[in-house]
Amino acid sequence: MTERDDLDMQAAEYVLGTLPADERNALQARREQDPTLDALILEWEERLSDMTDDVELVEPGSELFEKIERALGRDDSNVIALRSQLNRWRWSTALASAAALVLVAVLTFQPQPATAPESFVAVFQHDDQQPAFLLTVNLEDRQLNIRPVTAEAKPDKSYQLWIKADELGPKPRSVGVMGDQFEIDRAALQEYDPALLRTATFGISVEPPGGSPTGQPTGPAIHGYLYPAGDVSGDSDSE
Amino acid sequence: MPSEYSTSTSDVSAMIFRVAKADRSAFAGLYQATAPKLLGVVMRILNNRAWADEVIQDAYLKIWQKAGQFDAHKSSPITWLVSIARNSAIDELRKHPVGRTTNDHELDQMAGQQPTAQEQAEDQQTVNQLNHCIDQLEKERQDMVRLAYLNGWSRDDLASQFGQPINTVKTWLRRALQDIKGCLES
Repeated sequence: MTERDDLDMQAAEYVLGTLPADERNALQARREQDPTLDALILEWEERLSDMTDDVELVEPGSELFEKIERALGRDDSNVIALRSQLNRWRWSTALASAAALVLVAVLTFQPQPATAPESFVAVFQHDDQQPAFLLTVNLEDRQLNIRPVTAEAKPDKSYQLWIKADELGPKPRSVGVMGDQFEIDRAALQEYDPALLRTATFGISVEPPGGSPTGQPTGPAIHGYLYPAGDVSGDSDSE
Repeated sequence: MPSEYSTSTSDVSAMIFRVAKADRSAFAGLYQATAPKLLGVVMRILNNRAWADEVIQDAYLKIWQKAGQFDAHKSSPITWLVSIARNSAIDELRKHPVGRTTNDHELDQMAGQQPTAQEQAEDQQTVNQLNHCIDQLEKERQDMVRLAYLNGWSRDDLASQFGQPINTVKTWLRRALQDIKGCLES
């Protein structure tokens, strides 16, 4: 059997679905780099796809497309821009003394079509696993609300919320220091333009009691996921 | 393309091209026209509605991202869409295998739902040439191909169902696929 025949058979079994998981993953990775393999796979997909002609259609629930659209909101290009913003912030603070656990997230959305609420939620994660905080911002009245999820009050430490946006210069700016019960001035974002809030990066750091002594977060910044309001309970329950 | 689709192949292609330009309303139209088909395919593989819903969500996000890669000269639009959903479902299934017990239900379901080429010829105006070619295989190999493709059975699943060593299953499947290819080209 020639090499090409063998590759054709791997492509065939890949499409059939019976390649063992490791070979399947390897082939998928190779496909990205190898147009010949990609073409063989597409040919096999064409050959075999008529088998699905007799598969019974299943009507999706009405909420499924809404979920997809919301997830798409998270995937807009400005989010990618934000991720890079987040990385810049991470680098710029990496030099600061790494005091403690630091959490960061991003808050932003493209305005959603018509029905979208003006309310947005940022999820602050410890380590890509557990949501630590939820930050909700209503862009109409610029009221904010912070809710701890797995974050716990730390004796002799304060959590501090930061905002960073290109318009505000290269450094994060303090939004406020949370109290013992995670309370924060709900009007702390009042002075900011909603358009700026949509594209800003938010972070939470652990600081000495009363907040950072330097006026800047004293640890590196990490990670965040984006959700439009209304999606939060469902998503966090299913995780 | 199954007859229950009111949307034509070229409509679906056109929608994919618009989705490639980040057209949200085309995306909604594409979803409406194709989600029941994709969900049907994924449900058959995963047999679990919540799981299938997650895979469909993932699949349509991929469709949104990859729409620019769709090439109407190389793929029919429905095949392209179904492949994205099937691949997601099979990837999931390999990551979280569900132990297949000897499952006569799926065999029955298959027997019930796969009309022979002859029955199809009687029911439909065009014969599905693929089913005709599969029907030329030995019975066990017909079942293996359909269980793998439609129900997501792995080589291991097939080996225990058919009481054959895994390597034999691999050889049979590859021979079956070559026979199908030859038959389709003839």
